[in-house]
Amino acid sequence: MRFAVLGLGAVGARLARQLVSTEGVERVVLREERRDRVVALGESLGDHAEVDLSRYDEPVDADVVILAGPAGTHVEAAAAFVRRGQPVVSVGDAVDDVRGLLDLDAEAAERGVTVVVGAGFAPGLTCVLARHAAGRFEAIDEIHVAKAGTGGPACARQHHAALARSALDWRDGGWVQRSGGSGRELCWFPDPVGGLDCYRAAMPDALLLVPAFPGVGRVTSRMAANRRDRLTARLPMLRPPHPEGGPGGVRVEVRGRRGAGRDVVVLGAMDRPAVAAGAVGALSALWLAGGRVSRPGASGLASLVDPVPFLAELRRRGVRAAVFQGDATERDVEQG
Amino acid sequence: MKMLRRALVALGIAGMVAAVLRMRGTGGTPPQEGGWRELSDSELT
Repeated sequence: MRFAVLGLGAVGARLARQLVSTEGVERVVLREERRDRVVALGESLGDHAEVDLSRYDEPVDADVVILAGPAGTHVEAAAAFVRRGQPVVSVGDAVDDVRGLLDLDAEAAERGVTVVVGAGFAPGLTCVLARHAAGRFEAIDEIHVAKAGTGGPACARQHHAALARSALDWRDGGWVQRSGGSGRELCWFPDPVGGLDCYRAAMPDALLLVPAFPGVGRVTSRMAANRRDRLTARLPMLRPPHPEGGPGGVRVEVRGRRGAGRDVVVLGAMDRPAVAAGAVGALSALWLAGGRVSRPGASGLASLVDPVPFLAELRRRGVRAAVFQGDATERDVEQG
Repeated sequence: MKMLRRALVALGIAGMVAAVLRMRGTGGTPPQEGGWRELSDSELT
């Protein structure tokens, strides 16, 4: 199997490392605008890695192309590779990128090519957890996603910008735009992250979950933020972001019907976001290359993968999912 | 001039009140019971 990883930030570098350490991977082509970084990473990854100094969207010999560049670079590159008949995995989490990639659905389906959209930590792992939780219900009413933490500097910038932009929620069959930074809710993430206040923000999870769960009544997404984040969300970042953030978490709350009753399932995971995103992206690419994802078109992981073996393989790679047992829900607070 | 000063003072006070309201408080209470546990082998087979 041959792969191309375009963009070698915190996520792309982890993803490439996951791929070269997987049995059966012959070659991983590395592309990155920062020449020093791609050369250094190519040397550290060994013989299976091949440094390629071409532009992102130039042709590449690969079974699957993985887009891990900064926000705003995914749609044009994906369109170019879809036209060449190559499957694409995008780990992007920007709303505009996800929307643009989903718009490629018809063209990708016509060409028989799969585009995996949002194959990172959130969206990505959140979509797989939602699908896994949904398996416990006969019908799904609500899905609420929350995430905490950031990966590399690009992810931190995206986090900062998202808090100042409108959130996109799905409510009773229609899209609702809500003000970013509103809707404070205390969300309990797997230890050691614990409880963090989360707010509405421009996150693309609902764009991927709504088509995956026809008939769902509400889909919302929130991100954890502290007081400084909220106060400065509409200003430029006051200091440069860290090379990599600390531990982060995701939490997916699914409400649905089972028999005559209603129930709630809360799943989550804790890891460094870039590490987990790299693992999810690499596994998505491996499944795509191995024929385990066969649906042509553009969609998220909730529509594409069987969650049980996917989560089992992720666990083997160190990303562990968890379930909350007990009095888990605080959804009655601050619904305004 | 007096009107302008009053308007600026009013805007400043409104801004401060908005900032305080935005920053204070928390989003709810923590769960009173229960906790996280890793998904078991039987749940992933």
